[in-house]
Amino acid sequence: MARIVGGIGCSHAPSIAHSFDRGLQKDPMWKPLYDGFEPAKEWLDKLKPDLIVAVYNDHMNRFFFDAYPTFALGVADRHPQADEGWGKRDFPDLPGDADFSWHLAQSLVEDEFDPTICQEMTVDHGILSILPLLTDNRWPAPLVPLAANVIQHPLPTPKRFFHLGQAIRHAVEIYPKDLRVLVVATGGMSHQLHGDRFGFMNPEWDNEFLDKLESDPQALVALRHHDYMERGGAESVEMIMWLAMRSALGETVRRVHRHYYAPMLTGYGLIVFEGVDG
Amino acid sequence: MMAGATYRDTPIPGTSVFTGARSRQGYRINKFSMSLTDPANRDAFKADEAGYMRRFGMTDAEIDLVRRRDWKGLVAAGGNIYVLIKVGGAVGENLLEMGARMRGETLDAFMSTRPGRQGVAVPRDH
Repeated sequence: MARIVGGIGCSHAPSIAHSFDRGLQKDPMWKPLYDGFEPAKEWLDKLKPDLIVAVYNDHMNRFFFDAYPTFALGVADRHPQADEGWGKRDFPDLPGDADFSWHLAQSLVEDEFDPTICQEMTVDHGILSILPLLTDNRWPAPLVPLAANVIQHPLPTPKRFFHLGQAIRHAVEIYPKDLRVLVVATGGMSHQLHGDRFGFMNPEWDNEFLDKLESDPQALVALRHHDYMERGGAESVEMIMWLAMRSALGETVRRVHRHYYAPMLTGYGLIVFEGVDG
Repeated sequence: MMAGATYRDTPIPGTSVFTGARSRQGYRINKFSMSLTDPANRDAFKADEAGYMRRFGMTDAEIDLVRRRDWKGLVAAGGNIYVLIKVGGAVGENLLEMGARMRGETLDAFMSTRPGRQGVAVPRDH
């Protein structure tokens, strides 16, 4: 049987991708971010998962508002990179796992989640901005992309994401192959990218979120979208996707690593968990 | 603050929540913006900005907002920042420049407010 062996929550941002592509890993502004990823990278290198399930959001690169899915699951064996408007980056396509993905689709629907099933799923910086910081491999394991609407309200509730993670865990546990699965959720942390409040960040709130994600996730589940937007900026509401990663690991977690750095527009958070419920 | 610009009518200062009403209002702007993920469309837009935008049924007022790089006006007209940055990319303005303009500041003035520039961005591991 398959099982979940770890979880990573981390911010995603085009700025991270740009810093990587421009080779700014040692730049004084960026070095603390890259240094903060090193322990996660070493952990992942030892973990060697067989499969990654990634909960993230697309930024109008695969989906548009003509038909915007609340949840969308990529079920292909290969996920090409999207052109986000300034050309593609120098990476190979992401490998997928169609067999597991269709199993996940079946199991999610049985658990009353109804994602749009995508046999073609291009992926954007929601995944590709941070994956190169977590590994030098291109790529470390097949990845199953599970995109969520955290842009066009009404959004799924924080509780819905918590339940989604539980449904992912259930799907993994009933999969007949002996796979070791890593669950990743990306997005946030505090940032607002429009209006007079452009540039707003709230490191205190971000760190409170990291505390509670580990020890009291129900306190985060109980918050409204409005609370997230008020505390962290309108675009930071995407942090609620981390709740799916947290719940996929079970009741109690062991924190392997945590890092936070907010130099410019977005609170860059990173947290690595292992489940302890077996 | 315009109608439909807040979430369940609870205003957050300086913030426009991207509700269904706003997505409907800004549909043409956003559809045009999304089209710039195609390199051929980027070239067509750069060759004739107004002519390209008219293909999407954008109004003269909306076209004028793009012509003036009025990102704040475009957001007020229902534009979503995640697609507007594709317009920024096509016209050579990055997100920091767009943001400074939305705040009515020069880029230097905005950058001087950033923790990384002020030397106060301290990494934390707890």
